[in-house]
Amino acid sequence: MPILEARSLTKNFRRPDKASGFKGAVKHLAQRKYKNYTAVDGIDLKIEAGESVAYVGPNGAGKSTTVKLLTGILKPSEGTVRVMGRDPHVERIANAYDIGVLFGQRTQLWWDLPVEESLKLLKHMYGVSDADYKARIERFDELLDLGEFMPALARTLSLGQRMRADLACALIHDPKMVYLDEPTIGLDISVKDRLRAFLRELVNDGTTLLLTSHDLADIEEVCERIVVIDKGVIAYDGPIVELKAHYITTKAVHLVLEGPADVPALSEKFPEYAWAAGEAASEVVVTYESARFTTAEVLADVTGHLQPRDLSLSEPSIEDVIRRLYAGELTK
Amino acid sequence: MSHALVVDRALVVIALRRRLAYRTQWLFALALGGGAMLISMTMWQNLIGNGTLSGYDWDSMRAYVIIGFIAATMVFGGADWHIADRILDGHIAVDLTKPVDFQRARAAEYIGSMLSTMPTVLAGVIGAWLLFDPPGPATPLAGVLTALSFALMFPLAFGITYLSILVCFWTKRYLGIMWLREALLGFFSGLMIPLAFMPGWLQTLSWALPFAHFTATPSAIYLGRVDTEGAFGLIAAEAAWAVGLWFGARLIFRRAVRKVTVHGG
Repeated sequence: MPILEARSLTKNFRRPDKASGFKGAVKHLAQRKYKNYTAVDGIDLKIEAGESVAYVGPNGAGKSTTVKLLTGILKPSEGTVRVMGRDPHVERIANAYDIGVLFGQRTQLWWDLPVEESLKLLKHMYGVSDADYKARIERFDELLDLGEFMPALARTLSLGQRMRADLACALIHDPKMVYLDEPTIGLDISVKDRLRAFLRELVNDGTTLLLTSHDLADIEEVCERIVVIDKGVIAYDGPIVELKAHYITTKAVHLVLEGPADVPALSEKFPEYAWAAGEAASEVVVTYESARFTTAEVLADVTGHLQPRDLSLSEPSIEDVIRRLYAGELTK
Repeated sequence: MSHALVVDRALVVIALRRRLAYRTQWLFALALGGGAMLISMTMWQNLIGNGTLSGYDWDSMRAYVIIGFIAATMVFGGADWHIADRILDGHIAVDLTKPVDFQRARAAEYIGSMLSTMPTVLAGVIGAWLLFDPPGPATPLAGVLTALSFALMFPLAFGITYLSILVCFWTKRYLGIMWLREALLGFFSGLMIPLAFMPGWLQTLSWALPFAHFTATPSAIYLGRVDTEGAFGLIAAEAAWAVGLWFGARLIFRRAVRKVTVHGG
């Protein structure tokens, strides 16, 4: 049985429909008009225990709304959600014991209190034993360096410290299912690296993870499966490796030549490759299908003819693939 | 102690500590409340002089004003904005992922914040006692029942405040609701003027509402304006309002939580 199952999950919202300016405001006061819009449109999602799933999509795609539906915060307009067999909206409190949630844009720390006090309050809420609490705090300290700011007031923390403290809050009760909604938003690269290492360890320990992020490095480093949502509908659902294998079919060699690159001549000489001008006049990019040619073959062909001053290899990143998925250029 | 009570106590203590973090807030509350009490005393002294007004002489009015000060400090000192803000800015999303009853958790926090007004109440009452030497309770039992009425103000104030905050789920604004609640409470409780000064029909209406229990009830009991049976009746009515509002709020929350819309992450 999957740990999480959503069927035909739909959420409609109602938004005031008013014209701009003072006139619009007055008109809306007298005659209220609303527009319905669908944030999540009939999503089917199954997550097995121990899976690490990236849930990605452009801004306004319905990612956070889905997380709120899956955690029981929002009531679905249509469809069902079951987390460990429970309806998370109806059995909210029972479900809360089994899940950990982090909203990158909303802290769960008590703003005017030291971090330690927030964690202790959560210990009481979840009924964590003294021994477990101590062991987990030690582990968080080891991996997230919590100790340095445990006595600090939450409102005095930097964003990176706040996020690490929030992560500890979300995991203090050792939840089976963890939802992380943009956990690395606004963080610098060193804090991101530390958080990703921590999340990898969490996944290796068997925790089920659903992660939403705009940072595709989070996704590649932490998750095995990716679900892409756009306009409330799932555009892709599958292993990240398959996504790359399926859609990343070309590689490229960037060449820096001694003189100006003659792209039309090169295209004529090597028609099996795609040639494009680089950023400088002396730069040229040759793209080839990785299934037809090995990199060694391409390099042998090209360097035999051109004697480049420098060269580098690249392949499209998952970011390119997802950008194309968002743009509707690729299909499931 | 049961798990739920441990959480309640932790939330009460945390809310209390949050308030204790801001010392200037106390001083302001004391200055404002104490100032209002002094103005009120001066005004009533001039109005009543050596006579009586609607059954109040200067002795009883001194006690009345002090009781009003205690009630106002407690009820207006609760952290209503903290709850309303969480609904309006979407932090309720975080609260709803915690394994606690939303209403009970907010009640514990609110009562913690009301408890933080105790130093202000104590300082104000000691100061007023030294300056105005008000009469004691009509009987020792009246004193005990007055204290009980003050104790019941905690759940009653929460019930009224929480219910008014729940309206935010529909209105998406809180300021107007707060103004309305405070105006109703100030008027119908007898904080502004004792209910005895109002026309009969307005007195009847005031006593039928829960607001009267914030000044009219404890002062009527303290000053012996009601007999023992009447005092017990008022305490029972105050308790009934607290219980009724608690369960009424539960029903409304069940509908309100379906209105939760947390946009933008």
